[in-house]
Order: sequence, then C-alpha cells, then structure tokens
Amino acid sequence: MIKASDGKKAAWITFFVLPGAAVVFVFILLPLFMSLFNSLFDWNQLIRGEFVGLENFHKLFNGYPYRQRFINALGNNLKWFVVSMLVQNTLGLLFGYALSRRIAGRGAYIRILFIPVLFSLIAVGSLWGLYLKPKGMVNNLLILLGRPDLRRAWLGDGAIATYALIAVNIWRWVGFPTLVFMSAVDNVPEGCVEAAYLDGAGEWRIFLKIVLPLIVPAIAIVSVLTVVGSLNVFEQVYTMAGLDGPPNYATDTIGTLFYRTAFGSVDSGAPEIGVGSAIAVVIYLMTFVISLISIRLAKSKEVEL
Amino acid sequence: MTKYLCLALCLFLTALGSPSARGEGVTEISFWTWRPEDTAFYESVIADFEALNPDIKVVQNAIKNTEYNTILAAALASGDGAPDVFMSRAYGGLQTFADSGYILALDQLMPELMLFSEFARGGALSVTDGKMYGVPAVSQTMLCFYNAGVYRELGLSVPATWDEFLENLEACQAAGYDALANGTKDGWCCESLLGGVGPSFYGGDGFYDRLIRGETTFMDPAFVEAVQKVQDLAPYMPDLFEGVDYADMQASFIYEIGVHFIGGSYEAGYFSLQNPQLEYGVFAIPGEKAEDPAYVSVYADMNFSVSAASRKQEAALRFLKYLASPRFGQQMVDQLAMVSSVPGVDVSANPFIAQVLALQENATPYVFLVGFRYKQPTGSSLFQSAAQDLMVGKATAEQTCQIVQEGVAVYYEPFWA
Amino acid sequence: MKSAMRLRKAGPGKKAFILLVQCGLTAYALLILYPLFHMVMSSLKSPRDIMLDAFSLPQRVSWDNYALVWSGKGFGGYFLNSLLITGGSMLLVVLLGSMAAFGLARYKFRGNTLLSLLFLSGLMLPLKAAVIPLFQIVKGMGLMDNPLSLLLVFTAMGLPSTVFILCGFMKTIPSSLEQAARMDGCNDLRIYRQIILPMSAPSIALVTIYNAVPIWNDFFFPLVFIQSDRLKTLPVGLSSFIGQHATQWDLLFTGLSIAILPMLALYLAMSRYFIQGMTAGAVK
Repeated sequence: MIKASDGKKAAWITFFVLPGAAVVFVFILLPLFMSLFNSLFDWNQLIRGEFVGLENFHKLFNGYPYRQRFINALGNNLKWFVVSMLVQNTLGLLFGYALSRRIAGRGAYIRILFIPVLFSLIAVGSLWGLYLKPKGMVNNLLILLGRPDLRRAWLGDGAIATYALIAVNIWRWVGFPTLVFMSAVDNVPEGCVEAAYLDGAGEWRIFLKIVLPLIVPAIAIVSVLTVVGSLNVFEQVYTMAGLDGPPNYATDTIGTLFYRTAFGSVDSGAPEIGVGSAIAVVIYLMTFVISLISIRLAKSKEVEL
Repeated sequence: MTKYLCLALCLFLTALGSPSARGEGVTEISFWTWRPEDTAFYESVIADFEALNPDIKVVQNAIKNTEYNTILAAALASGDGAPDVFMSRAYGGLQTFADSGYILALDQLMPELMLFSEFARGGALSVTDGKMYGVPAVSQTMLCFYNAGVYRELGLSVPATWDEFLENLEACQAAGYDALANGTKDGWCCESLLGGVGPSFYGGDGFYDRLIRGETTFMDPAFVEAVQKVQDLAPYMPDLFEGVDYADMQASFIYEIGVHFIGGSYEAGYFSLQNPQLEYGVFAIPGEKAEDPAYVSVYADMNFSVSAASRKQEAALRFLKYLASPRFGQQMVDQLAMVSSVPGVDVSANPFIAQVLALQENATPYVFLVGFRYKQPTGSSLFQSAAQDLMVGKATAEQTCQIVQEGVAVYYEPFWA
Repeated sequence: MKSAMRLRKAGPGKKAFILLVQCGLTAYALLILYPLFHMVMSSLKSPRDIMLDAFSLPQRVSWDNYALVWSGKGFGGYFLNSLLITGGSMLLVVLLGSMAAFGLARYKFRGNTLLSLLFLSGLMLPLKAAVIPLFQIVKGMGLMDNPLSLLLVFTAMGLPSTVFILCGFMKTIPSSLEQAARMDGCNDLRIYRQIILPMSAPSIALVTIYNAVPIWNDFFFPLVFIQSDRLKTLPVGLSSFIGQHATQWDLLFTGLSIAILPMLALYLAMSRYFIQGMTAGAVK
C-alpha cells in the first residue's frame, strides 16, 4: 500500500481514478439518481407534477396492489438468492476446487464451463424454452426413463416456474464462481497443504481448515455479486416467463415489478413513474446495505485468520 | 499498439457518426413501428409514398414490440429526439402519450378522419379531451380459427350452439388431434380466450355500455357465466397447456396438430405465410341457443401519430395523410391480410377479410383492452393473471371475476357508487 | 496448488469424491455442449421442424440461411459495428477500470471507501431503470444516432464490476514488489504498467469476458440510441426476427449461431490464463 504523503500522491490518485469515475458518474449515477429523485413527485403520465415527499413510498407499502405484489416479488427474490447461493456457489466451489487440484480433463472442462455465459439471453430463452415446454426435451426424457408421471409444465406451473428459471440461470452462470474459486484455490500456498498432508490430515480437513479460510476474499466477491444479482433479477424472468411474472405472479420479482410499474406495458397499462421510482429506490437501498454487510462480514473473517 | 488501435477506432467512429449526405430540398422524416415482421411491407409502402412525394424521404425504424413503449417514452420525453411519425397503441396506450402532450392533435389538421367509423376513431381518441391523436390503422376481431381440412375429414360443420362447439372439440380429440391449440403460459392468451368465448354469453353491446357506466360490474352473472365457459374449455386444451406459450400455439395450429385456435384476426397473415397449404376458416363462438346471434370481440388496433415536437410537421402530416388514404388501406388488406380501418377500401378481393367483416356485424368491444387499460392495475393484467389460476382449476369463475372487479374498482369511479 | 487429485493411491472416500465430481463435470459439460450443437442444428432446419421436431437433425445441410442473414439481412455490417463497439468499449473498460482499481487498491487516502462505494453503487440497479434521463443526457451531448453514445454507455456499464473485481485482486499483490520498483526509481505510472498490470492479467481476462458478453449481446441500448440502419449492431438485427405476432425461428437461430462465434473465440483465447492458473497476483 502506498503511503507517501507528498503532493504528487493526490495528483496520481486523480490521474488513475478520475477518468473512470467521471464516466460512471455521468452515464450511470447521474441518470440513476435523476430517476430515483422522481420517486418524490406526483406524476401525470410522463409529466412530473408536484413534490409529494414520501407519498409514493406510502402507496408502495400500503396501497393496493403494490403492497401485495411487492411482498410476493420480494419472496421470489429471496428464492433466487437462497437457491443461487446454495446450489450455484456450492457447485462452483466444488468444481473450482477439483479443477484447481488438477482433476483429470481439467483443460477441457475449463474451456467448456464458461460457454453458457457466452450465450445471449435470447438464445438461452429460446433453447431452454424448447427444452422445458410440455412436449420438450425434459419431459421426453422423463418418458424415456419410465416416469411420465413426473412430467410438468416447467415454466407454466406456479409451484415450480421460479425454480425452473433459477435452474436455467445456474446452468448459465456456474462457470463464473468456478473460475473465481479455482483461481483462489490455485493461490493457496503449496507449503501449507504439503505440511498438513505430512501431518496426516485428510482431504476434507485440509479443505475445511486450510483452503476455505484462505479463499474468503473470493467467497466475498462471489457472495456480493450473488446478492446484487438476486436483487436485480429482471432479464431472466422477462425473457423466459414474461413482464407480469406469469403464471399469476408466481415468477414476479422486484425487478419485473419495477419495470412494468415505472414504464407500463401494453397489458399492464400506463406508467406509474412515481411508485415505480420508489420501487427502484428500495431495490437500490436494499442492495447497497446487504452488499455492505457482506463485505464487512467477509473483512471480519479475513482478519480472524 | 493500443494507441494506434484507439486512434483507428476514433477515426472510424467519427466517420460513422457523421450525418450522411442528403439530397437538395428533400425533407427526411423518421417513422417508428413495433412490427419488425412487417419491415419489408413498410419499405414498399414508403417507396410508393416517396414516388408520389419526391421531396420527402421516410426512414423506417422497427423496434422490438416489447421494448417499443419504453424507448418511445424516452424519445418523446426528450422533445425533439422523438420520431416524426410513429405507430401508437390504441386506447389506454395512446392516452399516456396524449395526456403528456407529446402527440399532435389531428382534429383540425386532418378533417378526413371524421369519415372513419366511430368505432375506429375510438381507439385514437383521448378520453381526457376528446381529441383525435392518431390515424386509426386496423381493427382486430377475436374469434375462433378452425382447420377446414380436418373439419372435412371428420365430417364436422361450423357449430351453431355452444354444445355443438363442444361436440366438435370432442370429435377432434377422439380423432387424435389437439382439439384446441391454445395454452395459457402467456397471460395475454388467456384474455384472448375470453375475447373469443365471452361475447356470446354476456350478450352483445348492452353489457359493455352498462359496465362502462357502472350500471353493472364484472360480477354480473352473465359475465361470470362467460368466464365459466372459458374454464370449461380446459379439458380440450393440450396436455399441460399451462406451459404452452404463444409460439407453441401458433405452431400447433399452423402444422395441423391443433384444430381450433381462439385468437385474433391478425393471425391470418402469419398462418398462411408459414403453411400456404393450410385451409382454415373462422367463426364466432356461439352461445347456448342457435337462434341467438354469435358475437365476437373487436378493438381498434394501432394508430399512426405525429410527434408534437417534430420540426418537420408539414412533411410528417403529408405522410400521415397518405397512411389515412385508401391507397394505403388497400395495401394493408392485400399484403398483410389486416382489416384496414380506412373507409372506402375494397375488401372483396380477400375472402378472409370479407368473412371477418361479416362476423363484425355482431360485435362487442374487447372488454378489458378497450375499456380498462387506462390505469394500473389494468383489467387486462388482473384478468390475465387470475385466469392462469382459473384454467388450472386453482380458482373459480366467481373468484376470478371478483379479483378483476376489486382491482378495477380501486380507481374506476363509476364502480364506486 | 499443484498437488494433483488423482484416483490412484486415493482412499475410498476420496475416490468416491473424485468420481462424483467427474460425473458432475461431465454431465455439466454435456449440458453445455448439447444446446450449442442444438442451436447450430436449428439454424439448418425449417421453422416447422424447429418447433415440432426440436430434437431431430436437419434433413439436409444447407447454409442458405447463413447467406441470407449475412448479406440479405445486413448482418455483415451489424457484425462489424458490434465488433468495433464491443472492442472499443472493452478497451476503455479495461483501461479505465484497471486504472481506477489500481488507484483504489494501492493508495490509502481519505475518501477511498467513498469512491469505492461510488463505483459499486453502479451495480445496484440495471441501467435500464434510468433510460429516460440517460436519453436526455446522451441527447444533450449531441450523441444521438452516434456509436460514441454506445461506446460511452457500455463503458460505464462495464466499469463498476470491473473496478470491484480488479480492486479485490490487486489488493492481494504483495507491496514488497512495488517498494522494490520504487527503490529503482519507477514512478507510479510505471508501477501500474509494468508490475501491477502484468500481474493482474488473469483477473483482467476474467473481467474482460465477464463484461464483454453482456455488451456484445445487449440490444436495448442500441435500440434506444441508434436509428440508422448502417449503425445498428448484431443484437438489434437479431431482435428484428422476433415480431409482435411472428417469429422467424430459423433465421433467429442462424443469427444466434453467428453471434456467439466472436465470444467463443475471445473466451478460448482468454481460457489460456485460467488453465495456466492465476499465479501470483490473483486472489490470495
């Protein structure tokens, strides 16, 4: 860490940070805060009216139908978070660890793992739409396996549609935590592990006591991105299910709720920019606070080592 | 190395970004549509217009339907970043932009709009100030398509009563077909089901007008009955229909797996394009008694509007006048098989459209789209979501109607009394 | 960690674990390769077979669709535009992002946390949420229908996660290296260019692929900012196959198969870094 306190330091910091910060400020933060600001006003269609303070937030938390929809959507975001955290990141850790330990076929696996990320969402939606539809591959496979009773309308059945969407998303993204964890485990000093081996520690113990604590920074990166991703779920639902979170809001998330409230749609009607922006503010604050907590939590674990 | 790359890139981008050379005295206007599938059609329309008006050049920009409203809103809100001429939605979708002052009112500028039918004008009218904000383009009819080849094969005829309709469905099912191609994965397809099935049960025009005035509600027994009839169709729909989306429905009917398709008259063009051999006809789904007329739902769809901030209004209006002319309406009928709203268009050459127009003799407004898409939550979104539960038996017809009634009553003043 | 995990000499528990992971990885690999194969096969099939006979092979191999999409539908031009815009944006993302990450990771100063949060908060909401004010800003700068608008917006979109990830990686580079260089008279710029940047190469590879893909595939902002056909990008071309009531499935899959190629090439080029392992300078 550079600690020099000469006058040049400030100049260097400005030189390195300012260009990026300026671009982010002008093209992300400025428009974002402009639209968050909209939550404090009354709106007549697309025209801004009077300042109404927190009225829109009041509507969001107490008014029909926003309150019901918001709670329902938040519940689905929670499903996204829990399942992604448990399944996607665990799989990523497992794969990443095995790949770092030079499991047979490593090179080929690494080349393949990330390919789903390269698909555009249109491709993911079209292909998995074909696999998950009633006469699609998944159901055909179940018939082949002699279990036609397990066939489902994967994307149309309210009880499982969200999980089907999450499964597709995990399919798409598992490569990312895998690569992050793999590189983290790669950097665990060889000496520590060798020493533990000589002490007769088993693989599981080595993983738990030596590797895991040393990859906390990687876990933090992945967790924060999972939090941000789960609270921002939008495109996946929009592409594969629809803007209204069908069937009957079973796949609705705060992202889709925000979008159709703020921008309206052919079916959902005129935009409600005030309430929509209030939803955006809530998403923003929640994401911010939860990511901060995750970062702090990770930092405290780091210090304990 | 990187530096040269950057430099080359900058040069290229500057070259791309510079405006293209324009001809002397030619006014260029922009024209936005949400119909990527009709790009070629509008190219030919524009070529025809430009031949008649050599001093105007029209540049078409087709935007993906689902993103259209958002992008148009952003463009209109920015003032002169807006397109000069654009497709606007009918009814509630038009209201948003009209109320915001982004669209030019046309009453004074285009008196010929008064020649359009009152029904067609309804879709281009602002309910706030009663002015016209667009040139009505087409009308759509919600009805039932049937596979004429299969009807012949099975010896079926167009049903005259609801029971006959169900008998036909059963005969198709017995012969191994999917009786109905419809599914409910996409919410709006549920609304289509009601649009096709409902009108013969809630009794034509009278109900809609009373509903709008608040003299009856969505709990009206006739309306509940209509919703019940929609639910009664579930056994004739494909296996796991709750997972069947719009594209599957179309494929099923086009490739002759499903025999009936309840939907809008706008399907015809795509059906014929995908399978020219497909023989199909349309009917209005009948009610209980053969002597009662069978009704269809109709709505005005799509307007052409001019941006209030356009600096080229004179040229834009000339293009709009062309879009309001029978010359354009005729192309709509001949090439897209759409029911043009322009008065004086000859539809006799297209038997399908003639048939649709005959069915429109007994028509009622497509209830949610025409009357209840002005505010959130719209009747459409309430019904679409509730109907997805209705169709899989998780809700009854009464419960469905109640959800719609309570949701609309939050803002719809005539229901407050 | 170089100690290999091999079946030989492994105890029964470890053997079972290795087999389990192998099964998982193989299944996942198949689950990835099949859709890729299926996508290309679908581009060779008729719309009917795509919808009804999704898992059959094409009846005959004809590349007509590719010719049609490439020249008839203008994908040749779209492809070039996309390549330039994604390439340009990524160049800026990596340059500005690594600079900012360097500044935040390697200097201690008041406001450091605040600046980090400023970058991080760009991740908290999709930029789509702010399209109306963004439109006004871009129009105010006179950049409508100019590819520069996309270049800047995409750069901004890529920066927050780039700074966040790179900052995390750069913090773990031992400062002894830096001090040694300083002793030798290196200034800060040279430390950044000749020490930190090369050591961060693997993580830069990661953020490159992580950000290039969404930029390459985005059709929303090109739809918003670009009107002229000659400036449109590949995803916009793809979106034109999806109509309101009619979708051209065969052409869509053809376009999708073309669109994934540059990303595949980029990833395969980058995967070298992942396979070699991220030695010094990656996450500790």
